[in-house]
Amino acid sequence: MTTLDAQATVKVSQLQKSFGAIPAVTDVSFEVYPGEVFGLLGPNGAGKTTSIRMMLDIFKPDFGQIAIFGGAMDEAKKNRIGYMPEERGLYRDLRLEPTLVYLATLKGMSELAAKARVAQWLQRLDLYEHRHKRIQELSKGMQQKAQLIATLAHEPDLLVVDEPFSGLDPLNTRLVKQIIQEQADVGKTVIMSTHQMYQVEAMCNRIVLIDRGHSVLYGRVDEIKRRFAGHAVNVTGSGDFAHIPGVLEARPPGENGAWHLALQPGAEPHELLRMLACRSDIIIDRFEIAEASLDDIFITIVQQPRGEAGDA
Amino acid sequence: MRNTWIVLKHEIKTTLAKRSFWFTTFIFPLLILALTLLPQLLAGGAIESSQQSLLAPPIDAGQHPTVGYVDASGLVQNIPPDLPPDLLQRFDDEAAALAALRAGDLLQVYLAPADFMQRGELVVIPSQFSPLVDPSSYDVLEYVLYYNLLGDADLARRVMWPGASIPQVTLLAPEAASRPAGDAGFGISFAVMFILFFIITLSSGYMLQSVVKEKENRTAEVLLLSLSPVQLMLGKILGLGCLALLQMGIWLGGGLLVMGQEQSLLGGVELTSLSPDFVVIVVLYFLLGYLLYAAALGALGALTPNLREGSQYTFILILPLVAPILLNTVFVGDPNGLLATVLSLFPLTSPTAMPARLVAGDVPAWHVLLGLALLAATTFAFVLLAARFFRADTLLSEAALDWRRIRKEWGNSKL
Repeated sequence: MTTLDAQATVKVSQLQKSFGAIPAVTDVSFEVYPGEVFGLLGPNGAGKTTSIRMMLDIFKPDFGQIAIFGGAMDEAKKNRIGYMPEERGLYRDLRLEPTLVYLATLKGMSELAAKARVAQWLQRLDLYEHRHKRIQELSKGMQQKAQLIATLAHEPDLLVVDEPFSGLDPLNTRLVKQIIQEQADVGKTVIMSTHQMYQVEAMCNRIVLIDRGHSVLYGRVDEIKRRFAGHAVNVTGSGDFAHIPGVLEARPPGENGAWHLALQPGAEPHELLRMLACRSDIIIDRFEIAEASLDDIFITIVQQPRGEAGDA
Repeated sequence: MRNTWIVLKHEIKTTLAKRSFWFTTFIFPLLILALTLLPQLLAGGAIESSQQSLLAPPIDAGQHPTVGYVDASGLVQNIPPDLPPDLLQRFDDEAAALAALRAGDLLQVYLAPADFMQRGELVVIPSQFSPLVDPSSYDVLEYVLYYNLLGDADLARRVMWPGASIPQVTLLAPEAASRPAGDAGFGISFAVMFILFFIITLSSGYMLQSVVKEKENRTAEVLLLSLSPVQLMLGKILGLGCLALLQMGIWLGGGLLVMGQEQSLLGGVELTSLSPDFVVIVVLYFLLGYLLYAAALGALGALTPNLREGSQYTFILILPLVAPILLNTVFVGDPNGLLATVLSLFPLTSPTAMPARLVAGDVPAWHVLLGLALLAATTFAFVLLAARFFRADTLLSEAALDWRRIRKEWGNSKL
């Protein structure tokens, strides 16, 4: 239900932020639209969290423009945003239900409405029985779900979730995934930051990849994957495929018995095939160009020297 | 404003739900009261028994007679009617009296020498000798001798204990009529200072804990998307201030109630007669003092990465509040002296010093008003300064706290 023609919920342009002499973000730009799940990706320390904090008006940028819901951030707009930070933030020594109600009332809800809404979410996420427990008594997965309730209870129009699947078992991962998708389906805007690339591939319509403070890759996931086709090959045969020149990463054979070789930037599949055919210690049974996964793309972009990344 | 109100309510609710709050509000003062009053009660008992010794030395009712005497002066002809008739046993010679003492029949033996009228000296031999016992407490035979010399028990008492009969005139200003003096004045002055010090530091300490806890729990980041750092700070300061007022009400109210019951321990001081003006002034100094120190500790909480590091700086911040307690004697000794005046006007010490000075003596009204004005101005400045440190980047920072960082954050801050 992505509607790129609609007004962008979030529009950030050329963001810059330094802490003292240390630059955290040097040039980040992206737009996010209603109804889409947008992936905010990048290695640790790339500037994702600082970008999110600037976008949410927690930090002021040194330079750049930010528009939320079509304009500058104000108190009313803050109440339309739900934020789940990577480092979870709940009062560990307080009881679950009153904590969630308190956080919801700070988002403009009346106490009565907040109690009712929190109760609904507690039931949906199987936490209702634990509502009187102190948060520190809950398991990590339960705390994670509690944090999600704190993010969703006030029915935000913009949802920013940082590593939403961390600490969840497969069952709860599926549940959280379903909830996030539901939010997008009803027209809410979702920005998701995660290192789990298969979740990004499964859920995100578009992504931005931030590396060393720059947005180095930005666009639709399928287009990016197409653009990066040819950057990886699948090879079946015998021999040591782990140490081949021009190969950035070699994944051992999976269920299909094929090695997955991600190529270094500039390396071409046909050159690799020629080189392998010439080697006496390697026998090739099958060689095919693989569709690049986001994992491959992530590694390719992040590992290449600055300057080339922007050209990717 | 709405969010500040929500934070205020939240702070009150969560603090009231803590056992530690109720412990410090009720149990701790009771412990202090017990530790303060118990020695006084015991001492009071000792005083009472020593006063009783004038008429009846420490005797066991089942062991009559307990006091023997040998009267070589020949003065003892009659025993005062207010003494038990079998309390005293006369011996004709010292050897017989001492034999009875050694046999355990007597607690003490008095020897009145023949030249008593010339020299005025008596000898007392107790059954158990202790060099630390005041000899004047052995006064039974002295009383008997005065009685025989004067022929009147009441006159004998007045001669022995003239203090009660000599009129003493004290010139007192009308407004100071109810003001405690001497030891009681010192005690009350100290108690007022201690209570104010304790509640101000305790409540400000809650502020520090509350801010640091939100940093440690990572709640600050979620909260900062709902309200500004200054709204958060004000909500906390005001909420915890309400609790500080509650605590002060309980402590002072309870204190007055208990002391009202125990006036004898305070030299008969009418505490309940402290004027409403005094109460209002104390409450104002308390509130401003709390705001000042809560703002300071709130700023410390914003800068410190954890409670352990914050606690190291807490003592430095509250040191000015401790000074008047350490110098408490100046308020009773010379309430209008230079040191007492300076301490009661200097904004960092005045929250405890001015109330103590008011208890101890007459303070010119303009001193009280000037002290309040200085304190209010300083508190306002401290709240503004605290707001400079209470920012998103400091609240989300995990950097260690040292003087260099404080200087750096000060440089980064903007009003």
